[in-house]
Amino acid sequence: MTQDMPARGIVARADRLLSPVEDATNMIAALFVFALMCLGIAQIVLRTIFDTPLTGYVDLVELSMAGMAFLGAAYTQRMGAHIRMELLLGTLRGRALWGAEIIGALLGMAIIAVLIWYSGEHFWRSYQLGDTTMDAEFPVWPSKLLVPVAFALWFLRLSIQLAGSIRLFVDPTRAPEGVCVMKHAADVAREEAVLPGTEET
Amino acid sequence: MLIGLGFQHPLAVGLIGVALLIFLVALGVRVVFAAALVGLLGLVELIGWGPAAGVIGIVPHAKSSTYALSVLPMFIFIGFVAFHAGMTSQLFSAARKWLGWLPGGLAVATVFATAGFAAVSGASTATSAVFARTAIPEMLEHGYSKRLAAGVVAAGGTLATLIPPSAILVIYAIIVEESVGRLLLAGFLPGLVSALVYAGIIIIWAMLKPEQAPSVPVEERPGWGERIAALPPLLPIMAVVFIIVSAIYQGWATPTEAGSLGAGIIFAVALLRGTGIKPIVDSLMETAKLTVMIFSLIWGVTIFVRFLGFSGLAEAFTQLVVSIDAPPMVIIVCILLAYAVLGMFMDAIGMLLLTLPVVYPAVIALGFDSIWFGIIVVKMAEICLVTPPIGLNCFVVAAVRPDISLPDVFRGVTWFFVADVITIIVLLIFPEIVTWLPDMMN
Amino acid sequence: ANVDGPSVFWKISMYGNPRALTSGMEALAEKVAEETDGKFQIRIFYAEQLGPARENLDGLKLNAFEGAGICNFYHPGKNPAWMVFSLPFLPVANPQADRYIRERMFEHPAIVADMEKWNAIPYVSGLLPQFEMMGKGEPPRSLEDWKGLQVRAGGGLGDAMELLGATKQTLSAGETLTAFQNGTVDVAAFPYTYAHVAFKINEEADWYTSNMSPGSAECGWVLNKTAFEALPDQYKVLIWDNRSLVLDKQQEAYAAQDEKNIAMFQQTLTEVRYDEAALEAFREIAGKPVWDKWVADNPGFDAQGVLDAFLGYAEEATNP
Ligand code: NA
Ligand code: NA
Repeated sequence: MTQDMPARGIVARADRLLSPVEDATNMIAALFVFALMCLGIAQIVLRTIFDTPLTGYVDLVELSMAGMAFLGAAYTQRMGAHIRMELLLGTLRGRALWGAEIIGALLGMAIIAVLIWYSGEHFWRSYQLGDTTMDAEFPVWPSKLLVPVAFALWFLRLSIQLAGSIRLFVDPTRAPEGVCVMKHAADVAREEAVLPGTEET
Repeated sequence: MLIGLGFQHPLAVGLIGVALLIFLVALGVRVVFAAALVGLLGLVELIGWGPAAGVIGIVPHAKSSTYALSVLPMFIFIGFVAFHAGMTSQLFSAARKWLGWLPGGLAVATVFATAGFAAVSGASTATSAVFARTAIPEMLEHGYSKRLAAGVVAAGGTLATLIPPSAILVIYAIIVEESVGRLLLAGFLPGLVSALVYAGIIIIWAMLKPEQAPSVPVEERPGWGERIAALPPLLPIMAVVFIIVSAIYQGWATPTEAGSLGAGIIFAVALLRGTGIKPIVDSLMETAKLTVMIFSLIWGVTIFVRFLGFSGLAEAFTQLVVSIDAPPMVIIVCILLAYAVLGMFMDAIGMLLLTLPVVYPAVIALGFDSIWFGIIVVKMAEICLVTPPIGLNCFVVAAVRPDISLPDVFRGVTWFFVADVITIIVLLIFPEIVTWLPDMMN
Repeated sequence: ANVDGPSVFWKISMYGNPRALTSGMEALAEKVAEETDGKFQIRIFYAEQLGPARENLDGLKLNAFEGAGICNFYHPGKNPAWMVFSLPFLPVANPQADRYIRERMFEHPAIVADMEKWNAIPYVSGLLPQFEMMGKGEPPRSLEDWKGLQVRAGGGLGDAMELLGATKQTLSAGETLTAFQNGTVDVAAFPYTYAHVAFKINEEADWYTSNMSPGSAECGWVLNKTAFEALPDQYKVLIWDNRSLVLDKQQEAYAAQDEKNIAMFQQTLTEVRYDEAALEAFREIAGKPVWDKWVADNPGFDAQGVLDAFLGYAEEATNP
């Protein structure tokens, strides 16, 4: 809603720095999805027509799942698309709202920080002690490495949202920067209503 | 008692954990954070910091890299691309030509068009949104009441989750370790039954109050040639239905592979119909976003479930429910009513993920079929999309049509709510409607 | 109490439901509780409640639980030496020989070292029965008959089937029946006899092999090293000295199923038995090359030594 105003604050600058990275990683996740589709079609064709299924197809799919499941986490956070119950939150305004957002961001950062460290250890174990897939025996560590990497990006996004919320907590009259302005159920509905491709009628 | 030495404390911790989770979720903390955080805290209490943090560090990757879950992004992608291929209006136009002559014919046609669209889309709200644009104007033009027109679109959207492809059914299958294929097949007939009951309600409504749903004049009814000409554009949708059902049924492809082929076909159709790069990139980005959202919920809740496992709470709950001295049917109805209340406030996927780990073992211990319960629960979750206070489908319809107020949509949907209750009762009495198709597999 | 000591509670992480494989561990839990008057409790957590099967070794490394059931082929890279149990056509004569070999192998330094990395100790074998084949159509009575068959078999066994001229299909156990019904698979290899029945393969098949012994795997029990070492000596002895109890119970459970199943197979299906010369030929063509490739592919430890130890124990078991 305030996009046309040039934002000069540090929060806005961090936001603008991170956004393209998030867009790119989400696009990579999307390409993983597209590749999964192509792989599935290839597998059907190779198996039913040429009688030679791809060895390690299941292994490959399982390894690539991390690309789809995690890379877009920060992007999804920026879009406010990680589910929460907004029944109570939706009634809050001003300082109370930003206070709640601060708590939410802090809790998120706490758990994501733990997960960055320990999913990192999980990756490190598989790298150091060895771990391969069942069938084709591909190494598992590259897939496990995606988790801490994607979560680190998610943590950065949460920090920006935290900073943005603190800024607005201090002065709720400021223009929102680096926060996800909460949509009420009706707004969500309105957004669903203008889904691309539905305007043709 | 199985709960012996060293087990009272874990149970207490488990109960506190459940309470804390409910509190945080109600407060508006994102479900993934709340579930993972409570799971971590509970595990720390039970096994100490090092093992606890280590255990939860395993979960996101281990849970997400399951082959069975790979069908989700495929189903999501099919839905988004189908929008761009312009399949909605074709479906509605064909349904109208075939069913328009019935009492309340346009509304009946809407029901079956949404059922058809459900075959390429797993998202209820999106389905309602599209048909609010396609079907409502036509109904209003023919003198239908706003309430009926809005109600049928809001209710019809819920069919998307029962009729495959359906993300919710896949998620249920994953949580309870059922076959994804069997669950998808199981949704088919209940989806059709729901559609038929909706159609029946509309016909009765139209006969009681013809002024709210005037018949199409005889001279406006299309001939057979016109009817048949409306069918070919529906081929891609029929192909997807055929591929998914026959692949699962005959086993020539896994659900993921069938989903890939279905997505490929819809994608090709979208390209052939001149869909540009921008909408395709958009639908890919949306697919990735929704995929991350669902997977985050899954692993977040799995961390919480891991904690429940260490605490032994699910088993204790099962023992408690089984020991209740009441007929299983009474208990299951109570459980369903609890879901109805919960569903008023929660998103369907989050609700299933949070409750099933505890509720499911108890339901199975009572002797109910796991596939049947899955369909019933999903149907319950769908009913919640059309009931106040957060009936999202009704919000969608009201938002698309500024001339129709939200109370009008809710009133219009009342009849369909009754239809859904009838459907649930039918499924309770005749569980074969759910289990027959998947049982045919073996 | 026969054995006195402090209160100890052990959690064992297991995948799947209670079954023949878990009967031995359940018996151990009961025995240990009895001997200590309930002071030492062992509880098996089924259905991956404590962690995914493929990450059970990670859980032990993290000290999240005190024991686990693991399968070597879930994660070949985590236990490379253990993959010896999955080599095809090893000369395992019968269940008794199988038990003897596995008991000895569980003390082999390379097998122990694989677990040491994960802070685990090999406890007892799961005695997973040897695989046998079940198929539709004409039974393959000779080596040549295997050419062109579509066989559901994974890992080393799949490679062996390809050496015989068959095509390997990797399918999950649950998918196999459907694939069997619609003809994408002619033959399915499963642990004999219980798994064929569990996945209803026998209901579709025409024939089965009863002594091909094309291979097996090791789905056994391992303990958390830290937890074991922290036990008072009398508890350690209690656990360690009851290894044979666990193995006995497992063997009994499998034998009870075999008795029922084999009678059923003999009535409804054609039995295919190979003579010693044919079995030797299988080993030559489809066994030895895979063993040698495995040794060559695993320079990280003395794979030849592990294989030789296995073959040596197999020899001892047959000709004591
Ligand atoms: Na659907
Ligand atoms: Na609702």
